[in-house]
Amino acid sequence: MANKSTISPNKIRIAALLAVMGPGLIAGLSDNDPAGITTYSVLGADYGYQLLWVLVASTFALIVLHDLGSRIGVVTRQGMIGLIRQKYGARSGTLSAGALILANIGTMTAEFAGIAAAGQLFGFSKYVSVPVAAIAVSFLVLRNSFATVEKVFFIISAGFIAYIIAGFMAGPDWGAAARGVLIPTIPFTQDAIFIATATIGTTLAPWGLAFIQSYAVDKRLTKDDLKLLRVDVWTGSLLTGVIGFFVVVTCAATLNKQGIHINGAADAAKALEPLAGTMAKELFAIGLIGAALLAASILPLSTAYSVSDLTGRPAALDDSPKEAPLFYLTFGLITGISAVLVLIPGAPLIKILVLTQVLNAILLLPLLIYMFGISRDKQLMGEYVATRTMKIIYSIIIAVVATAVVCMLWFTIN
Amino acid sequence: MKKPPVKSINTVAKRFAGRSELALQRKNIRESLVSVAGLIGKPVKDQGGKEIGRLVDVVVRHGENSYPPVSGLIVKVGQSKSFIDGARIAKLTQNEIQLSSAKVDLTEFTRREGESLLDADVLDHQIVDVNGLRVVRSSDLYLAPLDREIRVVGVDISFKAFIRRIFPGALGRGPIPEHVIDWANVASLAHGTGVVRSTESRTALGQLRPADLADLIEDLAGRERNALIEILDPDLAADALEEMEDGELQGLLRGLPAQRSAELISLMEPDEGAEVLRDLGEVHRESIFVEMDTGVAKQLRKLVEFDETLAGGIMTSHMLITHEADTVASALALLVEHRGRDISDGVVVVDTKGKLLDHIQIIELIAAKPGSKLSSLIGPPYPTSVNLNTRLEEVIVEFANNRGASIIVVDEKNKPVGRILADDLVDALASTSENHGFAQGSGVK
Repeated sequence: MANKSTISPNKIRIAALLAVMGPGLIAGLSDNDPAGITTYSVLGADYGYQLLWVLVASTFALIVLHDLGSRIGVVTRQGMIGLIRQKYGARSGTLSAGALILANIGTMTAEFAGIAAAGQLFGFSKYVSVPVAAIAVSFLVLRNSFATVEKVFFIISAGFIAYIIAGFMAGPDWGAAARGVLIPTIPFTQDAIFIATATIGTTLAPWGLAFIQSYAVDKRLTKDDLKLLRVDVWTGSLLTGVIGFFVVVTCAATLNKQGIHINGAADAAKALEPLAGTMAKELFAIGLIGAALLAASILPLSTAYSVSDLTGRPAALDDSPKEAPLFYLTFGLITGISAVLVLIPGAPLIKILVLTQVLNAILLLPLLIYMFGISRDKQLMGEYVATRTMKIIYSIIIAVVATAVVCMLWFTIN
Repeated sequence: MKKPPVKSINTVAKRFAGRSELALQRKNIRESLVSVAGLIGKPVKDQGGKEIGRLVDVVVRHGENSYPPVSGLIVKVGQSKSFIDGARIAKLTQNEIQLSSAKVDLTEFTRREGESLLDADVLDHQIVDVNGLRVVRSSDLYLAPLDREIRVVGVDISFKAFIRRIFPGALGRGPIPEHVIDWANVASLAHGTGVVRSTESRTALGQLRPADLADLIEDLAGRERNALIEILDPDLAADALEEMEDGELQGLLRGLPAQRSAELISLMEPDEGAEVLRDLGEVHRESIFVEMDTGVAKQLRKLVEFDETLAGGIMTSHMLITHEADTVASALALLVEHRGRDISDGVVVVDTKGKLLDHIQIIELIAAKPGSKLSSLIGPPYPTSVNLNTRLEEVIVEFANNRGASIIVVDEKNKPVGRILADDLVDALASTSENHGFAQGSGVK
């Protein structure tokens, strides 16, 4: 009789994992974009180890929410915005799409701010670096020749793993770090609440949630892939958390100790001096560019996809601009508006980076509430409907984000 | 994706009116169109004009007619939701609904077989635009009096209709008939309803090419996809399944009950059926085999055993076997009997021990005398045959050398067990060259 296939089950598992591997890792690691790194740096530089718990809690929430997002995508086979429209109607669909667009313009602005800041470290004017980056990224993405380049950016941005080494070399106060993780305290000041909210916003970026869901739909992942997808989500989220943790620790052990506040990318780069010495600036700048380009390539596309999802006619790059005008319009507007915002003369880059992440946290709220509603919908989720425990966890996450946002708004008004 | 011509509501008028009355009918229908999205939340009044509650949803009954009639309303009275039978609607306009009695006895709504809720199940949900061959979301639905009942007559899938719903007041309502698609040309996949569907949209779906249908199935969300499979004619569904991508098909079968999967796989070409079964896990595969006709299951089990890179793994076991002593007439009758199978281009002839003698083309049979024996037609060119364990590469070489349309696969005793057709080879080559790269995500198809 015929030869039976002799591939070992183990081999199949690994191959399957690699096929699924991606959305969680990309969405997770892209959280370590210029906005993320800068926000975490400011958190460490200004508050030492004290607010580490905010980052740890955000990472936990990131795992929970990305897990939920990917599960919704797999089970319903619909993108987030389309699903919100279906369940909650036209106004909610438009509101959530609007929130996502605003948040993504903000984050895209942060990516360009990162490129501008990194460019300045190398001595390039932002009026050169930002337009070049915007055009290059758009060209690559629209020509659909991005797959390879994406991997390159991915590897470059992984350069931020350097923070893990730098963290150890800086000789941090591990006792204080442990206290910062375990004992949640926060000075009730505007600045502290502000940076804590930004940390939540950059870690739980709305675009990441929409992206992971649409990726699961797009890759046609099935319920059988859920276990592997979970491995991917946990890996990506934990990696984000670990890198974030070491960024904070490194900055606490260097910048905070020396009393340096971050006013520019050069200040933030100083944290890498224990590792890279005089090359700290270059290392920081390269990591920043890689991460910024990676995120900048995914963001406009992900947003355009969400908007066409709202219209009920999912579009993709193989449609022509005439066939999918809204898709390309969104793509162009996201890229164009963000680039222009960064190019405003005298725009404070570091402030923009942090501010956009606060905006993320605010716009995250409605999306979370809709996601929560979807997770409880037995008709949509079937056997994967949220359990009692998970419902409580989701509620706590929403309550915490809401509290941070309300406190911050209260300070802003007063 | 090409934008299809939008079929206007006028076609509805055509169905219900003679040509002379057409213009008048058209006008009447336009004026009587009521937007469902605009109707939700409007007051429901009793005979005396007193408001008794607000409209929550409209219940329709799917049946033989292409335009499902309104069977009732769900109305919010105080804090509770009540059902009001459709027979009691006296007047239904864009701004209010009036009932025919002063007294309303309020009953709780329980969904009956074949009913769906327009707001909860259809509006903003995915539907299949059968003419445009695409999956869309409904932006609005239109009701109109037809045939003495209020019926769903059209659906608006435009972004404009969607956007206007965001605005309050009159802006949010006015129907735009130019964008309305005749309800008979869409397949609503509202869940929670029975399998009774608009017969006309079912017929329309039945006229699609299997490949187009496969694309539609792939574009649908999970529940809607299963709903579509449910309403399709099983033979057509099986044809469409054959056209689907491997991964998609596996995902689909995982979501279907084993009984339905078994039915569909039995109707697929054996080699295609075996291929998908091979890819499913053993537990799932067995659960499907259990539901199958034992003969079919036995045949498929055999095929599943073979490696996909060997002749046995790519062949189809469907072929027509005749004996050398049979007559030409009986061979032709056999072909006619299996005319639905597109691979029946001739018959395989075996000797008394079942060993392969020849493959005779239809044209040779037609040219021969009906009463003559098949043995008289045996002669060169003889068909190319390969062993069950012949490797894919060698099969390709054989194909290329002989330029025939098919190759016959024989077992070690030279008994025919299957055939490999050109399209089976194409499938086999396509699946070996498929790459599962780290493609970019975020909406890039």
